[in-house]
Amino acid sequence: MSTEAVTSLAAHFAAHAERAPDAPALIWDGQATSYGELRSMAESAFIEHDLASLPADRPIGIRAKKSPEAIALILACLQSGRPFLLPSIELAADTLAKLFAQAGVSTVLSPTGPRSDSAASLRALVDAPQTESIDARPSEWPPAGGAEGVTFMLTTSGSTGLPKIVPLREEGIDAFTDWAANQFGIGAGTVVANYAPLNFDLCLLDIWTTLKHRGTVLMVDQDRATQSPYLSALINDNGVNVLQAVPMLYRLLIDVNRAGGDTFPTVRHVITTGDKMPATSLAELPTLFPGARCYNVYGCTETNDSLMHEFLGLADGNVPSNIPVGQPLPGVTARVQNEDGTPLEGTGTGELLVWTPFQTHGYLKAELNAERFTAVDGEERPFYRTGDIVRRHDDGTLTLEGRADFYVKVRGVRVSTQVVEQAIQEHPEVVEVGVMAIEDELAGKRLCAVVRKEPDSTLNSLKLRQHCMTRLARTEMPSKITIVTEPLPKTSTGKVDRKAITAELERTHS
Amino acid sequence: MDDETAKIKGFIVEEFMPDISVDELESDFDLLTGGVVDSLGLLKFVAWMEDEFDITIDESELGPDSFRTVTAIKEFVDNARAGG
Repeated sequence: MSTEAVTSLAAHFAAHAERAPDAPALIWDGQATSYGELRSMAESAFIEHDLASLPADRPIGIRAKKSPEAIALILACLQSGRPFLLPSIELAADTLAKLFAQAGVSTVLSPTGPRSDSAASLRALVDAPQTESIDARPSEWPPAGGAEGVTFMLTTSGSTGLPKIVPLREEGIDAFTDWAANQFGIGAGTVVANYAPLNFDLCLLDIWTTLKHRGTVLMVDQDRATQSPYLSALINDNGVNVLQAVPMLYRLLIDVNRAGGDTFPTVRHVITTGDKMPATSLAELPTLFPGARCYNVYGCTETNDSLMHEFLGLADGNVPSNIPVGQPLPGVTARVQNEDGTPLEGTGTGELLVWTPFQTHGYLKAELNAERFTAVDGEERPFYRTGDIVRRHDDGTLTLEGRADFYVKVRGVRVSTQVVEQAIQEHPEVVEVGVMAIEDELAGKRLCAVVRKEPDSTLNSLKLRQHCMTRLARTEMPSKITIVTEPLPKTSTGKVDRKAITAELERTHS
Repeated sequence: MDDETAKIKGFIVEEFMPDISVDELESDFDLLTGGVVDSLGLLKFVAWMEDEFDITIDESELGPDSFRTVTAIKEFVDNARAGG
């Protein structure tokens, strides 16, 4: 293999393969791949893709679905010290081509092998637009802060425009994987479930921390990620110890528990992340995982995990309806800021800013940085603006209020359309809701709610207003409530398409 | 329900809550807390009342409670008529 300087992650992995070649590294589709086998696969990938001949100062593009071969290919890149861009395979071909061009990749690789059945079709997809266009488009490589130490390059899941490329440095990944291993007891023999797709930052915990610390990664097949019986059997048959996932997985497991009484006694650490965990799901966790400590972890691709809250006393009915974002991880600094950039003193709401030892030095496209990375008083390091509005309570706890993007000014008052949507959604006969601020010539902006009710419901705007009166401030009450029975327009990711509804409302507004 | 109360309810329903029937709107429903009538709606409302009931409303006399419920609006109209 390469004689170039290897990354810490690759060096740790190589040491495990040397000392414990038979220890299981991955479990995929009922089959274990040992550390020794995985090392051989990485060496094969290195030779087959001729990584040694690729320019050392340019990134590699990787288009891969989750598989042991894909992990071997990433290990080969880590081993050769070459940065790589790992975008979502779900992205459109044109978007992918733009991202690979922006990263200035020398080539785009997909894993090969019997268990990468989709590899050929994936290559066909990227090869066509990629080969002629890569050099023609302007690349942003190298990053403004220099290319040194950059390994993983992940992308944000931005709902609008091109996803942003986030270069991560070895130093940050090293610090993160060590924190995670220590916090969740990941070491030799620990079985860690990997539920997220391969390109998610969550994999830095469940795949890469595990491989660095000689654990076993149980890889969940993305194509079966919503099949409750498959998931339940997988967790129990393999004795999973650490489970990190979005709330959806826990809802699926709760279904299995209700249907067949399955519990998951081997799990020691349950981590919820990425989305708001409903209180009803939280309350079920002690039943599902009788031997586990439960946490909510807050983070994003740019900073990785930054705050964590451990749920204590869930089994005794101590279920918070509004989940605290928690305490900063060791070495992390968190700050709550008013709109004018001054720190929030005492109780109230403001935007959450964080600095973490794991964070990127900035987006690859440097012009995007000013909006998100900012200097704060008394701190030398740039803080990341999370875009999340948090509330600081009397006891100092922080809870999420919503995205800053959802705040609108209605008659001079800041209102979160998310808060309004949540209140409306709490009505049992509401299926879904979108709340938007619509431009009005006279009033500036007015809040409009479009609500889909259950088919047999007698809900009307008056009943909904009565429901909201105890939940919302007057300024948060929508001026106009439209109740429908047909589904609301959706975005490609299945969320209510507020932009489409806004356009429709503005068109019909007299 | 007297005619004027019915007219007031009819206007509110038609203008602000077209999906409900007049009978569903209680005379003591809090229109302000319920967000039925906002400041823009109030302007329309005042214009309509002046027209409909042939009264002159001095906007400086309008307190938040004058329009809180249908009952309050009816009282306001009666007072405006008596005073004018």
